[in-house]
Amino acid sequence: MLTARRRLVATAAALLSGALLLTACGGDSDGGSGDGKTLKLWHYETADSAMGIAWNEAIKEFKAKHPGVKVEFEEKGFEQIQKTAPMVLNSNDAPDVMEYNKGNATAGLLSKQGLLTDLTSEVTKHGWDKKLSAGVATTARYDASGVMGSGNWYGVPNYAEYAMVYFNKDLFKKYGVTEPKSFDDLTAALDAFVEKGVTPLANGGAEYPAQQYLYQLALSKADRSWVDDYQLYKGKVDFHDAAWTYAATTFADWVKKGYISDKSSSTKAEDAGLSFIQGKSPIFFSGSWWYGRFASENKFDWDTALWPDSKLTLGSSGNLWVVPKGAKNKELAYDFIDITMSKKIQNLLGNSGGIPVAADSDAITEPRAKALIDDFTTVSGRDGLAFYPDWPVAGFYDVLVSETQKLITGSEKPDAFLGNLQSAYDKGAPKK
Amino acid sequence: MTLTVDRGGRALGKRAPAGRPRGNRRPRNPYALFLLPGVLAFAVVIVGPFLMNTGVSFTEWSGVGSPKWTGLANYRELLDDAEFWASFRHSLLMVIAMAAVPTVVGLVLAAALFDFVGKHFGPRIAAVLRACFYLPQVLPIAVAGIVWSWILAPENGSLNELLKAVGLGSWQQDWLGDPDIALYSVMGVMVWVQIGFPLVVFMAGLQRVDPQLYEAAELDGAGWWRRFWHITLPQIRPEIYVVLTWCTIAALKVFGAVYVLTKGGPGGATDVPSYFSFTTFFEKTQVGYGAAISTVLTVIILLLSLVGLKLQTRAEDAEEGGVV
Repeated sequence: MLTARRRLVATAAALLSGALLLTACGGDSDGGSGDGKTLKLWHYETADSAMGIAWNEAIKEFKAKHPGVKVEFEEKGFEQIQKTAPMVLNSNDAPDVMEYNKGNATAGLLSKQGLLTDLTSEVTKHGWDKKLSAGVATTARYDASGVMGSGNWYGVPNYAEYAMVYFNKDLFKKYGVTEPKSFDDLTAALDAFVEKGVTPLANGGAEYPAQQYLYQLALSKADRSWVDDYQLYKGKVDFHDAAWTYAATTFADWVKKGYISDKSSSTKAEDAGLSFIQGKSPIFFSGSWWYGRFASENKFDWDTALWPDSKLTLGSSGNLWVVPKGAKNKELAYDFIDITMSKKIQNLLGNSGGIPVAADSDAITEPRAKALIDDFTTVSGRDGLAFYPDWPVAGFYDVLVSETQKLITGSEKPDAFLGNLQSAYDKGAPKK
Repeated sequence: MTLTVDRGGRALGKRAPAGRPRGNRRPRNPYALFLLPGVLAFAVVIVGPFLMNTGVSFTEWSGVGSPKWTGLANYRELLDDAEFWASFRHSLLMVIAMAAVPTVVGLVLAAALFDFVGKHFGPRIAAVLRACFYLPQVLPIAVAGIVWSWILAPENGSLNELLKAVGLGSWQQDWLGDPDIALYSVMGVMVWVQIGFPLVVFMAGLQRVDPQLYEAAELDGAGWWRRFWHITLPQIRPEIYVVLTWCTIAALKVFGAVYVLTKGGPGGATDVPSYFSFTTFFEKTQVGYGAAISTVLTVIILLLSLVGLKLQTRAEDAEEGGVV
């Protein structure tokens, strides 16, 4: 007979096992059992962005080609999908096709967990692989460990993105500063602005802009194998190597010199962008996702350029179309993806301020859009897309934000900063 | 006939004979059935998820797929996790900001509104002021947080601009961006958010204090401070316990303000356990470890609540004395 204590322990054990069983349960179904009459589609592009415009047109086209099929579109938030995707995809409510963030810690993690459909046969069947450059295709393929760059196709990217230097030409003129063509020119321009009492670089220490400066500084001293070691775990990563050390010391030095405000540790990406839009900061280094907004909101003459004297820059494919393992109407999903890869949609994307991956170069008529795409072609052509610094390890974004804030406030020296990055990276990167 | 009276003042009359009542099988307490919905809801909404969370905390799990049983590994890791203990220290400072300071300030303000403003300017003015102090409690923390982040912004923030305007430019700070100041800034915002709650509870408590006590004390020449110390404080002790317990729990699980104002930064200077747990769950996808953090946090909050309730019961018992 059970004593009261044993009974209690047995009950608790039963409840805990039940809890684990419950949490382990989920949609293990292979999907594809839908009626073929509904396409459930999720993405998180705003309607007025280049991608939003293009995807909306793709939906129209899809409806025209599939009379009688209803498209159930839900606009989600980036954060919403990022935080809940694993849970949703593991349930019976998964969409048929969904936009999802690329990288090891996101699409890679989902593919490893068996939540995404292997698209390899569809990719070859439709010839999507022929339309993508090697750098762009990297983020679409994941191996069994969820590491990008090789293995099966788990997503299809339809656009690309990269980081660039945005210049306020009017402020350069106003303060008599020469527009930089080389890295030395850039630092001379930064000095000149500081002398005039202007903090030259817009920065958001509480979010990604600060780590993008840092990573770009490292990239300017790095090569492809350095990126592969860091992002694809192909070799040992030493945060005290020449590139990272240069990046950390230069960044800290730039704060000391006043290129970057020492009061920017709590400012967000939006604050940094606004400071450029409002004409307060003459220079902002960030991604092409700002381009459309700057084009519509800047009240001054501006231009862009790639980071001077650097072969590598931050960038990658855009987000991916993924087909959840439990999707009910996979054939419809493949048809939709195929439409987004068509010349018509890709050209529209390009002319709307995005960076298409399979457009006709002659069809892009908007001059600014053409310059943007040309720069991307230059980077992509020299295999210069180096992805983003937070990708290799889940949760590394927060570590980078937190540690870079310490560099900005001067509460940590570059050596300790690099040591902390090393331990977080080693803890999170896959063990060999 | 001798009546025995229980604490609730209920006349018990003669005790029923011990053992099961003979004849019909009615339950001992016919009202027990009414508790059933509440008990069920409690079991489904609180007990079930807590047990599931505790179960998950013994595993290594990324949120999907099969969890791997690791026993007490997460708890052992937690013991050595400097980040967790730092966040817990911040949490204790938040208890000062969200429980201790608002309780003390709320007490003084409530007594002043009730005893001074109410008497000299009328109850309507006192009610308006009470509502004003309570306003931050009504505002969603996301809205209040965004407004405060504008106020505390290093460049063009209202606070820094105000300091400059009154000739105190040297006092300007990067309120949320300086690791030495950020936590105190968040604490300051939380004092502002919290103060209305104790104030309202204490003012309600003061309504039930017998005015004759104050009149007698006044006749004996007691000043405001002595009346406050010897009458107000002892009379509303139960409310003080309730407020302290409630606010301490709120402080330990504070999340929204940290999320909106600082996201735990700069450099982890304002991280608190609930935010730490959130990032562990969703950013690092270490669901098992995040569950361990939230289990520890729940247990701590539960223990503190029990201690608070015990103190409150003991104080009430002492007050009731030997009423039998």
